Amino acid sequence: MTKVEAIIQVSKLDAVKDALHEIGVEGMTVFEARGHGRQKGHTEFYRGREYTVDLIPKVKLEIVLPDEMVEKAVQAITGSARTGKIGDGKIFLSRIDEAIRIRNDERGENVL
Amino acid sequence: MTTGPTLRSELSELYFRESAAIEQEFSVSGEGRTALGRRTALVDSMVQRLWKEIIVGSEVAGSDVISSRSSRGRADLGGPKNFVLVATGGFGRGWLFPHSDIDLLFLHSGGNSESELKDPIRRFSQELWDLRLKLSPATRSLAECERLDPNNVEFAISLLDCRYLAGDRELFSRLREKAVPRLVERDCQSLIQNLAELTRARHHKFGNTVFHLEPNVKDGPGGLRDYNVANWLALISAMEKLKVWPDTKTLLPVSSRRAFDAALDFQMSVRCFLHFRHGRHDNTLTWEMQDEAAARKIGASDVEIANAADWMRLYFGHVRSVHRVCNQLLEEIPAAWSSLYRQFQGWRSKVASDDFSVVDGLIFLKQSKQPQQPGGLRDPEMLLRLFHFMAEHGLKLSTTTEYRVEQALPALAATPPRGAELWLYLQETLVQPHAADALRAMNALRLLALLLPELKGIEALVVRDFYHRYTVDEHSFLAIENLHRLKESKSEWDQRFAGLLSELEQPELLYLALLLHDSGKAVPSENHIELSLRLTDSCSERLDLDPVDRETVRYLVANHLEMSAAMRRDVFDPANVKLFAEKVGVPERLKTLCLMTYADVKAVNPEAMTPWKADSLWQLYIACANYLSRSADERVHTAESSNPGPSTLASSNLAHVRSLAPVAGKKINVFLEGLPQRYLRIHGATDVLAHAEMAARLGQDGVQLNLKQVRHCYELTLITTDRPFLFASVSGALAAWGMNIVKANAFSNAAGTVVDTFYFTDRFRTLEMNLQEWERLKKSIAAVIKGEADVARMLRDRLKSEKLQGAKVKVATQIEFDDSCSAQSTLVQILTQDRPGLLYRMCSLVSKHECNIEIALIETEGQMAIDVLYLTSGGAKLSAERQAALGQALQDELATK
Repeated sequence: MTKVEAIIQVSKLDAVKDALHEIGVEGMTVFEARGHGRQKGHTEFYRGREYTVDLIPKVKLEIVLPDEMVEKAVQAITGSARTGKIGDGKIFLSRIDEAIRIRNDERGENVL
Repeated sequence: MTTGPTLRSELSELYFRESAAIEQEFSVSGEGRTALGRRTALVDSMVQRLWKEIIVGSEVAGSDVISSRSSRGRADLGGPKNFVLVATGGFGRGWLFPHSDIDLLFLHSGGNSESELKDPIRRFSQELWDLRLKLSPATRSLAECERLDPNNVEFAISLLDCRYLAGDRELFSRLREKAVPRLVERDCQSLIQNLAELTRARHHKFGNTVFHLEPNVKDGPGGLRDYNVANWLALISAMEKLKVWPDTKTLLPVSSRRAFDAALDFQMSVRCFLHFRHGRHDNTLTWEMQDEAAARKIGASDVEIANAADWMRLYFGHVRSVHRVCNQLLEEIPAAWSSLYRQFQGWRSKVASDDFSVVDGLIFLKQSKQPQQPGGLRDPEMLLRLFHFMAEHGLKLSTTTEYRVEQALPALAATPPRGAELWLYLQETLVQPHAADALRAMNALRLLALLLPELKGIEALVVRDFYHRYTVDEHSFLAIENLHRLKESKSEWDQRFAGLLSELEQPELLYLALLLHDSGKAVPSENHIELSLRLTDSCSERLDLDPVDRETVRYLVANHLEMSAAMRRDVFDPANVKLFAEKVGVPERLKTLCLMTYADVKAVNPEAMTPWKADSLWQLYIACANYLSRSADERVHTAESSNPGPSTLASSNLAHVRSLAPVAGKKINVFLEGLPQRYLRIHGATDVLAHAEMAARLGQDGVQLNLKQVRHCYELTLITTDRPFLFASVSGALAAWGMNIVKANAFSNAAGTVVDTFYFTDRFRTLEMNLQEWERLKKSIAAVIKGEADVARMLRDRLKSEKLQGAKVKVATQIEFDDSCSAQSTLVQILTQDRPGLLYRMCSLVSKHECNIEIALIETEGQMAIDVLYLTSGGAKLSAERQAALGQALQDELATK
């Protein structure tokens, strides 16, 4: 099993969700996140005051998938979240040892 | 000694057989009280059997043994003298819910008793645990029961429900008749204070409202715990006075008792049902449980129930009455409060008016205002004044006042107030700091739906989604409360939004929109906004709102989800900002919509407005606000652009103008030619038609002026041919008349006709006190424009006669030039300290530097003037040298007082 963590633009969340649903990914966890990579902050002046946003609002998705689904999911995310500009986000993949359903102690990929 | 396996299995069998029978009986009758009584009797009999077996049968060294029959002839099962088994808490009250803890007190007389009794108590408890009963035991001496342990006030409170089970009846009598009354007498204040603090903390945990979508029937506000708190408060108070146990039937006023007892029966049945259905100690009334309880008409066998929403309304009706009584008692026991609190309440008592008196934070009607008296509560105005008074001072209604209101309602229902009079009172109430509490009280007394039937459908309405925590009515009140709380909040976000709220011209329209925004949820549908809009129209008609206000409220209700939707796009993308800003159109609407979004999201649940969302909302707001002030000349109107295009506020206004005056199309086109789109965004169709008419009369009189009073200020519209120093001269003339310009707009069309609008307050009430001064002011301004009067001299005379007062808030001057945001003009934004004649001084200086003011957007917020001028020189943008020279001159000018 692999954990897919994708940090994407807020405006792309609905498109990414739809794309993942289309390939059969049913569950996901979504977090409100802030951060920046090479895309730096943003400054706006209002009524003579400077409002700087160092960390830009992003959305982070976490999904744990059977290994054979991972590449399709990555394609779905990149395909739907990409604008080609700085700030599109990142995807991180990591190994997962075990998954356990709390309700009934079931284990393994069936839990996903 | 241990209990023999025979008795244990006998008790176990008895327990499971009887429990099943109780559950079976409940599944048929749905009667909670009966089930609790049977279960209490069952556990009573089991602990008494065990007492006989373990305690009486054991040989407790050094203890005298009491006979198995008391002097009064009741069985006390014998056992060691000076040792008694007492039921406390819920078990003591005889309300043993299916999965509740069994509170037992092993009471002894002190001395060596505890060590001697330790082993039998352990065995006794062990047996009960082995029988799978959830025991919550305590062992205390009589002396310990008489002392208040500040770390365990709950134990002292549990003694208020003590009940004899087995053992030394004499010892129990000493506990009940002496120790507990002495404890209450000595520690009454501390007990009440602790109980109040625990209750408040519990209420706070539940957001201080009964209106949860999935309420907790025990601990939630208005739940069974509150029923007990109310009884305990009344009991402690009465016992402290009487020094003995009072008659529990007389603890609460008869007026509260009936509803209170009905609520108890209902809640007992509901909690009993939940325990049976969950199969554990879970008091959450989930959606699934609501459906089932409604289908089985739990607690409501004699009431018509169509669906879960109906049943929940019944539920909320009961918990609301308990919550009300509980809160009233918390407020009405002055002896329990700290001296600081009493001082505060004493201070609040001084806010009494001609109609109402205030005692301990509660509002009472003065004798002459009783319902039967002329001008009493049956007079709708009086009733509305009552809730306005409540909203203003943050006071609660006394029980008797609530009773009087209820008495007055039937007469009021025959001819409910409506129209401008109702709106006048309602708007004054909505803007008061405690408006939400007043609305809640009106709602609880059924007055709100009587005045505004459009809100009836959302009364205590549960709409199921995964985000909302409260019923629809409470969500709306909470949204209003969220705005009123902004001012006192220390949070960085709240303070930013509080700044916006203070700038609103008509906050009452925002509050009304919040009250109505979800009214359409009364009927389940995919889009509640459509019905909300129909109800908003009906409500606007009822309140006889003027057309512009009606449109504002409608706009807010229709678009209350738009800004949240815009936040889901990239709030830093200029294209998104432009799209949303143009859709909103004007800064005032943007501010109002932003505040509505903030209040609405925050009222969904306490965690809904995360710093992440607040930041995104603020960024979107400031980006759009900046776009609106920096794009004022971006899309100049031409005849071609009058064709239907993308739907914006400007295009819809234009369509409205054409619908109002279809035959005047050419005249209007000539007038509008070259005016910025912003002009169409900020002026409604009626204004535009009036301006076009004025422009058409310029041939008769070259200076067309219109003066009118609008809400809190005056509006002067000037239409004339453009000329140097024009804007400065009019500003100067108004200042010379002592008027304070709070806002102004200046535009010109392709033909060189200017449309300037000045909004000002009348500092010396000249216009208000002297009607003839209206004409004199207009003539004076016309004379200044025509060069027949010297504005500089007029202003000098005025300023000489005024004492200059020091500013309360210092605002540093900031001047910023921007060449990039307009294709034709240089924009200069000036932020500075507001002062009399400021606009005249600035604009004169601009004109002296041979700059033409193409567009002026003038605003004042508190002591800060925020002026945005679009300038040209010789028909082009300002050169760098001219910008530097003008900037320096403005800095120098504004540095002087």
